[in-house]
Amino acid sequence: MDDTTSSISSAPLPTARTLRARKNPAIQFWRFVAINIKMLKIIRKEHH
Amino acid sequence: MARVVVLGGGIAGHTAALHLTRLVGRSDEVVVVTPNSRWNWIPSNIWVGVGRMKSDQVTFALGPIYKRTGVDYRQALATAIHPEGDGGDGRPYVEITYTDPVRSGKTDTLEYDYLINATGPKLNFAATPGLGPDGFTESVCTAGHALEASNALQESIEKMKLGAHQVIVVGVGHGTCTCEGAAFEYAFNVEHEVRQAGVRDKADIVYLTNEYELGDFGVGGLIFTQQGFQTTSKLWTESLFRERGIRAITGAHVEKVDEGVVFYEQVDGTKSTLQFDFAMLLPPFRGVDLKAYDAGGADITDRLFATSGFMKVDADYTAKPFEEWRAEDWPSTYQVPRYPNIFAVGIAFAPPHQISEPRTSPNGTAIAPSPPRTGMPSGIMGKLAATNIAEMIKSGSSNPVHTASMSDMGAACVASAGSGLRHGSAASMTMYPIVPDRVKYPNTGRSLDDTFGEVGLAGHWIKLLLHHLFIYKARALPGWWLIPE
Repeated sequence: MDDTTSSISSAPLPTARTLRARKNPAIQFWRFVAINIKMLKIIRKEHH
Repeated sequence: MARVVVLGGGIAGHTAALHLTRLVGRSDEVVVVTPNSRWNWIPSNIWVGVGRMKSDQVTFALGPIYKRTGVDYRQALATAIHPEGDGGDGRPYVEITYTDPVRSGKTDTLEYDYLINATGPKLNFAATPGLGPDGFTESVCTAGHALEASNALQESIEKMKLGAHQVIVVGVGHGTCTCEGAAFEYAFNVEHEVRQAGVRDKADIVYLTNEYELGDFGVGGLIFTQQGFQTTSKLWTESLFRERGIRAITGAHVEKVDEGVVFYEQVDGTKSTLQFDFAMLLPPFRGVDLKAYDAGGADITDRLFATSGFMKVDADYTAKPFEEWRAEDWPSTYQVPRYPNIFAVGIAFAPPHQISEPRTSPNGTAIAPSPPRTGMPSGIMGKLAATNIAEMIKSGSSNPVHTASMSDMGAACVASAGSGLRHGSAASMTMYPIVPDRVKYPNTGRSLDDTFGEVGLAGHWIKLLLHHLFIYKARALPGWWLIPE
């Protein structure tokens, strides 16, 4: 199962810009809103 | 007047009990039987396990909540169900053994009109010799276990600060475990803590899992769109492992654990050992030790429960190969066949089969992640049973009206990858449905519009928000029922 080690070593690494975006409070605030909307959409599907 | 007895006070049982208090009539009775005196928001045990929260921040006493909401609370362990009574008036009942300090060990019987089995899992550490807090590894399944894990982790970090190298193993302790997402979370939180402590270079962190590949999470992995491409949770998760420098061993069944060493077998049949200084390995689950008897006193446990100890409900339990699994196999009302006044929800119901493809090693060892059904699905099932029972009481019908199959239910999972309002991180995922429906979504099994994954600080804020929201809800504070499951 060394395939996993090999897969990890060739997995895409996030760029410095992506890493900064993941920590940027302003960007993350909008992602917070967007993800919550996605979650609410799923919850709304569950009313039978 | 009807009496509804809820066995279990976890996410499914507590949710069911609270909804019943607002849905049934004033003359109806809601009784909760649970051996625990405190409710635990288990998803936040991860933070207790790395010392970021205290155990009383993730637990609270159930007694005052049930007193305020009018629930008859019995701190007791259910030991047997008599769904046909004893033959006299035929009124069904359960046998219980009290666990509260005053009546500890005293037995009692409780008649019921409707029964919800939400007993959750038995943490089956015994399935793997040496596994668990009584053996050589830590757990985060309870707040107490998580506190012990935190202390052990801290000791390991202190050793690293003194210059020692430490091997930290996090994962699952058996080939049939579930909750890989929780193990994943803990691995990344440990990595975060070690980095924050300035000793990341001293730690070799290894994720040991029964998942055939990373990103499986016991649900067969996810496919979602990202920047115009379809991508997989495998690639996405491997990227996170590479970024954080965490090694992974996949498709593994832990055979046994000795002091400082894990013995495991992989899907290809190879057997290996892994030395460790600190290990947190989740146990496999099985149903609690609950027996069932018919009116004549004959043991009918096999009729009500699967061999795993979980209760059989309205699912298709016909054994069939992976290729023939269908979304329709999954239960939709969680009603028990033959006994329409019994429902089993949350972890307590027996899934018809796994969601991930089960595999067997050449040595015949099953390496098959069990289906996750904790958290959001458990809460939804608890509310569903409460709603159906309340309507059945009012209408006198024995047919539940509402349905919530896991093949028609979504889930939102936020896997913490480090805490802190500015420096935290989490992998946020949604999937719809939980059980892939290959007929409705032939290419991916799930809706691409509703299945996604993202890493970032926002996920940490969401996890924190959910922590406070769900504890607020479980405390039955004003407007609690407006907070969705």
